[in-house]
This record gives sequence, structure tokens and C-alpha cells, in this order.
Amino acid sequence: MAPRASAVPHRLGGTLAYAAFALLAAVLAGALPLSGYALNILMQATTYAVSVIGLTVVLGLCGQINLAQAAFFGIGAYAVGLGTTAWGLDFWLCLGLGLGAALVLGGALGASTLRLGGHYLAMVTISFQQILTLVLVNWIPVTRGPDGVPGILRPAGLADGQRYLAFCILALAAVAYAVWRMPDTRLGRAMRAVRDNELAAGVVGVDVYRTKILAFAIGALLAGLGGGLFAGGFAYISPDQFTFAESVVFLTMALLGGVGSPAGAVIGTALLILLPEWLRFMKEIPGLYLALYGLAVILIIIFMPVGIWGFVGARLARFRKAAPAPDRAGDLVLARAAPGPHPALEVVGLAKHFGGLKAVDAIDFAVARGGVHALIGPNGSGKTTTLNLLSGLYVPTAGRIRIDGRDVTGLPPHARAAVGLGRTFQNIRLFRSMTALDNVIVGAERPDNPAGLADAGALEARARAALAFVGLEDRADEPVASFSYGHQRLVEIARALAGNPVLLLLDEPAAGLNASEKVALTALLRRMTAKGLTILIIDHDMTLVRDVADRITVLNFGRRIADGDAAAVLREPDVIAAYLGEDAGQGGAGRAEAASPRPDLAPV
Amino acid sequence: MALLELRDLSVSYGEVRAVEGLSLTVEPGEVVTLLGSNGAGKSTTLKAISGLVRPRAGQILFEGRSLMGCRPEEIVRRGVAHVPEGRRVFPGLTARENIMLGASNRSGLSKRQIRAEADAMFELFPDIARFGDALGWTLSGGQLQMVALARGLMAKPRLLLLDEPSLGLAPVIVQAVFRIIAEVRRRGTTVFLIEQNARMGLSVADRGYVLESGRLALSGTPEALWANDDISAAYLGGSRAVSAAG
Amino acid sequence: MDLVPQLLFTGIGIGAVYALVALGFVLIFRATNVVNFAQGEFSMVAAFLMVVFAVDLGWPYWLSFLAALGGMAVLGALFNLGVYYPLRHRSYLPVIISTIGASILLANTTLALYGPQPQVLPGWFETQGILAGGVFFDSQYLLIIGVTAVLVAFQYWFFEHTLVGKKLQATSQDKEMASLLGIPVAGMIMLTFVYSAVLGGIAGILVAPVLFVSIGMGSTIALKAFAATIIGGFGDVTGAIVGGLALGVIETFGAAYISVPYKDALGFLVLVVFLVVRPQGLFGERVAEKA
Repeated sequence: MAPRASAVPHRLGGTLAYAAFALLAAVLAGALPLSGYALNILMQATTYAVSVIGLTVVLGLCGQINLAQAAFFGIGAYAVGLGTTAWGLDFWLCLGLGLGAALVLGGALGASTLRLGGHYLAMVTISFQQILTLVLVNWIPVTRGPDGVPGILRPAGLADGQRYLAFCILALAAVAYAVWRMPDTRLGRAMRAVRDNELAAGVVGVDVYRTKILAFAIGALLAGLGGGLFAGGFAYISPDQFTFAESVVFLTMALLGGVGSPAGAVIGTALLILLPEWLRFMKEIPGLYLALYGLAVILIIIFMPVGIWGFVGARLARFRKAAPAPDRAGDLVLARAAPGPHPALEVVGLAKHFGGLKAVDAIDFAVARGGVHALIGPNGSGKTTTLNLLSGLYVPTAGRIRIDGRDVTGLPPHARAAVGLGRTFQNIRLFRSMTALDNVIVGAERPDNPAGLADAGALEARARAALAFVGLEDRADEPVASFSYGHQRLVEIARALAGNPVLLLLDEPAAGLNASEKVALTALLRRMTAKGLTILIIDHDMTLVRDVADRITVLNFGRRIADGDAAAVLREPDVIAAYLGEDAGQGGAGRAEAASPRPDLAPV
Repeated sequence: MALLELRDLSVSYGEVRAVEGLSLTVEPGEVVTLLGSNGAGKSTTLKAISGLVRPRAGQILFEGRSLMGCRPEEIVRRGVAHVPEGRRVFPGLTARENIMLGASNRSGLSKRQIRAEADAMFELFPDIARFGDALGWTLSGGQLQMVALARGLMAKPRLLLLDEPSLGLAPVIVQAVFRIIAEVRRRGTTVFLIEQNARMGLSVADRGYVLESGRLALSGTPEALWANDDISAAYLGGSRAVSAAG
Repeated sequence: MDLVPQLLFTGIGIGAVYALVALGFVLIFRATNVVNFAQGEFSMVAAFLMVVFAVDLGWPYWLSFLAALGGMAVLGALFNLGVYYPLRHRSYLPVIISTIGASILLANTTLALYGPQPQVLPGWFETQGILAGGVFFDSQYLLIIGVTAVLVAFQYWFFEHTLVGKKLQATSQDKEMASLLGIPVAGMIMLTFVYSAVLGGIAGILVAPVLFVSIGMGSTIALKAFAATIIGGFGDVTGAIVGGLALGVIETFGAAYISVPYKDALGFLVLVVFLVVRPQGLFGERVAEKA
């Protein structure tokens, strides 16, 4: 939900400095004389921060809410608590059990709800949280009920409080580093894509549902880790430490610090653990302090949606040195549309009815390999519905769709991308918080990309080549939200090209472009077909269609009214009538006669 | 004084300049049509007039007074009714209820009065008289357009804005819709009409304007516009090709 | 006493409360496309207001009732202005988080003002109830069922037979079109919040004598009401009522035959089963998430 505030420390130097800093912090925690009070505060802050970083993953990176973070924290804590006491197991084994339980339960909970979206997820996680509290309190033979679990053991060698704290700090540093690097992994990019634009993510080839479940499970896992460490740190746990109220505390910490980065998680956690200690008097009135948390949540969401780190990071980014200019991007290689046995696209008897409305009524057409095929028709003729059927956003009422000879009729959008369908959107759908390069890398990562990209370097090289092809290589590392409308369109095309599609669907690429941009678009389309790409274009701009299309299919009232060679189709009286209007008005008959097709309408 | 006057109107969506420096007038009692291909900025112009989008620059005057900065509710109360593209009939309300809500801009009417007026509307729209109690989502495209028109008229507007009333309708239905527009005009309501169906639009209009890429390309009487080759080019493309050839 | 009819009666009584809160959920959802996670706190706050007026200040029951509902109307209006309205153009996630924040704020402000001790609110009637046909009809449950029936009837009349009701429906179906017709959309949304707060308040006051008046009652009721709306079909008024009643009955039988402490878990299980098997609920196809 918040833009990622800062770049990953790519350079080795940064990573080493970070490691040295973490080690120093751990050594200081182990060596400095700490009071018991200070030790407790630091222990709590460190273990909580691990759990809050879990929210950075699920809420910050993937945009999914989880209001049961304290429950997963509790699962980790009880695994260590009960394991080292009642069951007499080794600390590390218990910690592993807790992590496994959090991961599995998180994944299962996510799997049950993540298809349905936000509201359901929020309520189901709250419910899960309440159930866990009920179980912890009432299942006394196992959980020991409200009395809690005392006497929790630490691992051998870390029995000393400060040494254990030093270990927790190292664990936190490792987790923060992993999550800091995560946005630039394949999974991390997929999560950001899902957060920014679920629909586009699916069409580009990201398995949206699977990505969300993974994010949710990883978030739960980190909560379990934080909880396990917490149990070892305090030696005593009880159900009231893992209630819904604590989940809200975790959420507030994440939001306050900035949900987009683990740095924000650490800042938010530290602030909200230290502040109440400084304002201890508030704890004398029960409720006051949580009431302020609630108020803080509302105020942060309204006035500072990116949190402290998001706010600070955006300002720091201005002073950061520009990244070194990359080497010249290579030439974009597209697999040629070989004259295979199958057409690139085959549509047979395709129909979509909404109630009684036949938006698409049994249409047939085929797109041959190579060249530009245009699908046109007056407003409301069923073009957009057809496009949504092709990319899997609608389920057809009847008919089949074959791409490259494979029947994709029942496949979800990301699976169609894997078969080789690329598309752009009329109202541009980019991943708005990401750079142009990252947008295009997500496209290059489409499953079964024939370009066969083995490693991160090849992936980036291909993305840069695709950006160079549309003329944006110099702006590759800029956030795409700062691009002009015309350039955003080009990034969207580059994103699709990077995936090397068998068929590229362009949904009104000329919409909103000015005259010179349209000329540039025409040239770009020609360069794309020169590389052997097959394009299906939908546009109202008949000048563009005339200029680029080899073949045209015309729809009206959901039916196909013409199909074939472009010049011939545009001369058909039915097509001219569909565009200029039927000669139907009685009062207008005289005028209409004056408007019969003219010779100058024929293509030059 | 013109009933409606646009002066140098410019509207942007973010960076996209949908309308650039558009000036036009609509005199009382006229039917004026605004033509142009999809994406030319026609709907945006209507939305700016009715307050749904905020212009970037320019002036909109209705009866000599500015409409700039007014909310849609205020603008319809001042007598400008907008029948938007896609009809936007409330799917969960009946045709009669939809029509009755058209009077929401007029105060001091009892429910009974409004209902009586709505029933009187069915005389102008005999085709939907039988469907008064049918829910919006069950109606066909032509019926929806009739309901949307009737709902717009219930506002007793001095200016009626119509956005593509022929959209997606079969020719025989389009004829019926345009007969009603002619009747509305005969009863004294000024109409500002957007059409992609240029033939139909010009058949009822006194004057027409043609938009291309957000700018005014042509204006004049229907006869003059038809006599100009550019109107075909604006719809079917080729303007660049034509100018290049010439 | 015959157990099954007795449980059925109790279940319908408690289910009626869930149905009332669920109605509030559905109304706000239809008007704003947002699930109000503080809906349960409306019930909790109203119950506490009732304790303040009727028990602490000793006002007559009916006067306290009216005063509490007046308070709820004000709270609903403030809620709209402070929690929903500033975020109306943002996506659903910030609004969800904001309403959760409001829920925490309301619950804990009440806690800070009134302390953690559960309070007792007497029922409306002196008499405990009547025994008929082997079933004990508790007077408060009878009142709950009666008031719910009246409110459902009122709501039906209001939405189907008044112009304001139609305007509210129009607003929930297409805000932009409603504003083009001159319907004051912001006012309609305000009205929705006020009405939903009052509805939640009535539910809270009615159920208070059956349960204790506690800080936690809000979130418990809200979870049940949310489950009820999913069982019934999200956004569907009839579904909310049927879902609420069904959940009340399931829970009461579960508590009697399976386990008392886990009766809340039973509602959750039913919820998950519906989410997995039939997410559109019993009534209708309107899974109303925004694309």
C-alpha cells in the first residue's frame, strides 16, 4: 500500500556495513551492563519487531491484511513454552515446531479466504485470533489455561539474558535483511505486483492466489519466530499476551513506522514500546493507552499513510546518488512467429451473455501468425467483452479460445500468459509504486518465457532491452508513476514484449495519445511486426487501424459483421453504416443521402 | 444571451488532456450536437458541464452565470439535466422509481405529485408504459434509454445533456429515441446532444460541432458539415492520409 | 421442559440480535462498499450509555432508551465524519484499517471511562417470562424478537415505500448518477451511518440484559453478525436476517450439545465452511467485492 521507500543495498559494501552494525549492536547488548528493566524492554522490542516485519511482508509488500499476527506470535511462543517445559524438548526443535505450525496455519487460513479479498480476510483473521484466544484459555490440560506457562527454558549456551538478547538482535538483523532484499526477488516482485494491480499481475503471468498465500504464510512464519524468541526471552507466557488487542498493537507499529519497509517496522516497534514506558502514567488508567493506539491508527491512515520511514525515506531518496548508468542495452530478441500449424489465436463460437444481454454473440475469427489484426466496431459492439474473454477475466457463456493451438478456454489469466498471451490495457495498468525496470522484469518473468532467462542478470538485461526497444532505456530506474501518460503506455508495451508473447493484445493503445505520440505508436507497431510479432489491436482510431492493420474483424451488436483483408473490409457498406450511422432517420433522409460513402474514404 | 456558453474549456485527467480550449454556445430552444470519434473528448465536455469533472481552465456559463466549482447536485437544481452514456438506470429500482427520482432536484413536491408526473411521462414514452414496475436490470437497451430520458425530463431541465443516446441500439430503436428528442425540443427544452451516430445526430440538430483529439475541428449547420469531407475523416480515419495526399 | 423447542426459542432470540447488527453492516456496506469493523462497538457503546442513564442516573427506562439512541445517532454522524469521510476516495484497505482503529478507540475509551468490571443492565420488564407448552418464554427474548420483527418491517416500509428510501437505494447503487439527479449523496451516506449506529445501538441495548454489559461484547457480536452476513449472502438484507437467525440457533444448539466455551468457535467454523463451499452465501450471487 505504501511505495517502497528506498533501494536495496546492492553493493557489497553496504551489506558488509549492515552486518558489522548488527554485530556491533549484538556485542553491545551482550557486553554493556544492562538493568533488568532495560533488558526486558529491549527483549520485547527485538522480538516484537520480528513479528512486525511479518506484517511488512503481508501488508506492506503484498497489500493483504492480517489481524491475527498476535495469534501466530502466540503459536510460536506456546510451541517454545510448552515444548521446553511440559514436553521436555530441545529449544531449537520447539522453535522449529512453532515456525512450522505458524507457517501451515497461516497458509491454510490464507488459502481459505484469499480468493475473496480484503473484507473477508480481515474478518476471518479476527475470528481466527479470537478462536486461538479461546483455545489458549479453555484447553487447560494442554495449554494450562489462563495461568500461563512458567519456567520456559533458553537454549544451551544462551541461558544468560544478555547473551540471549544478543542472539535475538542477530536474528532480527537477519530477518530484516532478508525482507529488505525481498522486493527484488521474483516472489517479492510478484507480491508488489499483486499489491499494486491484481488484475494486471494475473495477466502478466503472476499466480495471484499463490502469491498471496505465500505472503500470508511468510508473515505468519515471522510472527511465529518472534513469538518463539519472546517466550525464551521472558520465560513466562500467558494467553492475554496474544489477544486481538496485541494484533492491533502490531498493526499500529507497522503503520506508524511505515509498512513498506522493515526499517519502518523496527522504528514503529521501538517507538511504541518506548513511548508508553516514558508515558507510564497512562497505564494506570486501563484502556487509555489502547484508545490512543486506536486513535493513532485512524490519524496515521488519514494523514501519514506511508508512515515515518516512508516519509523520511522519500526525502532521503532525493539526496541519494543516481545509480550508475547501465551498459548499453542489448537488442530485444523476439521469438519469430514461425508459420506453425496453428494460427496464433482461434476463436470459435465465442459468446458472453450478461442476463438477457448478449454482449458477445457467437463470434468466430482467427488471427494468423505475424502481422497486425484489428478488432474494431462502434462503441458497445462487444469488443471489450471479447478482449476480457480472451485474457481470462470473464468466463465465456459458450465457445472455445485456442492460443497457438492450445485450448485456453478454462484457464485463469496467469496460465494464459504462460501459454503466450500478452496484453496491454486501455486504462493503463502498471505497478505504480515500482520502477519502469521492475515493471518490465515482472513481464519478463512470465512462466515459460521462451527467451529462457536463467539468472537475475539475464532477466534485467532482457527488461532493459525491452525498454530500449520502446525508447525508454534512459529512464529505466525511475518510478513509473512519474512518467507521462504516453510513456506509461510504452512501459506497458515493453512489459508485455519482455515476456515474448505468441500474441500481443493491444487494448486501445492510441487512446489519450496526442497526434505526434500516435505517429510514434504507429512506427513502434511496425517495428514490432518487423520482429515477427503477432498483434491483435483494438482501437477506435481508424487512422491508426488503416495504417497498421493487415486484416480486420468488425463487430456490431456483439456479432461479427465483417472479417478479412483490411482495405476490403473498410469498403463494405455494412461497416461504413455501422460507423457513420444507419440511414434510418426519416427527417434526416435528405441529409443522409448527401453523406453516402465517398471515394476519398478509400485508403490511400 | 446564450443558454450555455463554454469559453476556452480545458479538462485533463492527470496528464491526459481530454479537452483543450473548447468554446461553443447553445442558444435557447436549439438542439446542438457535438460529434467526434471515441476519445475525442465529447463525454468529458458533458461531465465538465454537469460538475462530474473539474475543468483545468476556462469558463462554463449557464444563463450567464458560472457553473465552475458547483457540485453536480447544485447544477441539476439550476436546470441542467445530464443523461449520461450507458443510461445508468438504477438496476435495483423499478422503471417508475427511476423516473420518479429524476425529480430529486425539485423541492417541495409530494410523493403523490411526483408519481403522477412520472405516470404522465409514460404518455411520451408509450413503449415503456407496460414496464413501469419492472426492475432496471431486467430492461432491454432501448427500454433503458427511454427510462433514462424520462428520468432526465422529470428534472424539468432548461438544458438537457444527452450522451450518446443511440449507443448500442438497433436502428429501429434509434429512430424511436430520436423521434422523442425531436418531441422534447418541440415542447421547448434545449438539447445538447453527443452522438457517435453522426447521421442521426445531425438529423435533429440545428447546429453541430466536431471535436478531434479534444479540440474543436469544425462547426456549422448540418448541411455544411456534411458537405465537408472532414466529418467522414473524423469518424472513419484517414484525415492524416488525406492531408498528406493533398 | 422440552429441550429442543426451548433451545430453538433462545437461539432465535439471540439470532435476532445478530440479525440487527448484520443489517447495520449490510446497510453501510451497500452505501459505501466498506465493511464497518466498528459496527459491534455501536452495540457496546449503546449498552453502556443505557447503564449510565438507567442505572447510574436512575432515569426511567424509556427515557434512557431514547437518550441512548440519540447518543448513538450523534456517534454515527461523528463516525462518518471522522473515520469514513476523509478516506472515501481511497481504496478499501485504508478504510478497513480506519474502522478497526475506531473499534479499538471506542472499546478502550469506554474501558478508560468505565473500568473493566462487567455491568448489569436490568431487563425492560419486571416479569421473568411465561411458561407455555413446556417452553419458558423469557420476556427479554420475547422483546428482542418482537422489536426485531418491527424494525425489519419498518426498514422494509422505509426502503420500499418512501422517497428517501428510494434515494438511499439509488445512492448505494450508483453514487455518481444519484448526484446527477440532485440526490445529496453525502447526506444519504450520513443518514446511513446514523441509522446503522442506531440499529446497532438497539441491538446492544436489547441484548445487554441477557449478557453482561462488557467491553468485549462489541467485537463478539460483530464477528457473529459478520458471519451472519456471509451465511446469508453479502449485501443482501434478507440474507442478513436469515443468516443471523440461523447462526443464533446453531450456536445455541452447539452450546447445549457440544461445548459451552467453544460455542463462539462454532460460529467461526460455520463461517469458514461457507467461505470455502459457498462464498456467495445462501441468497444470491452478489459477492460484492470491488474489482
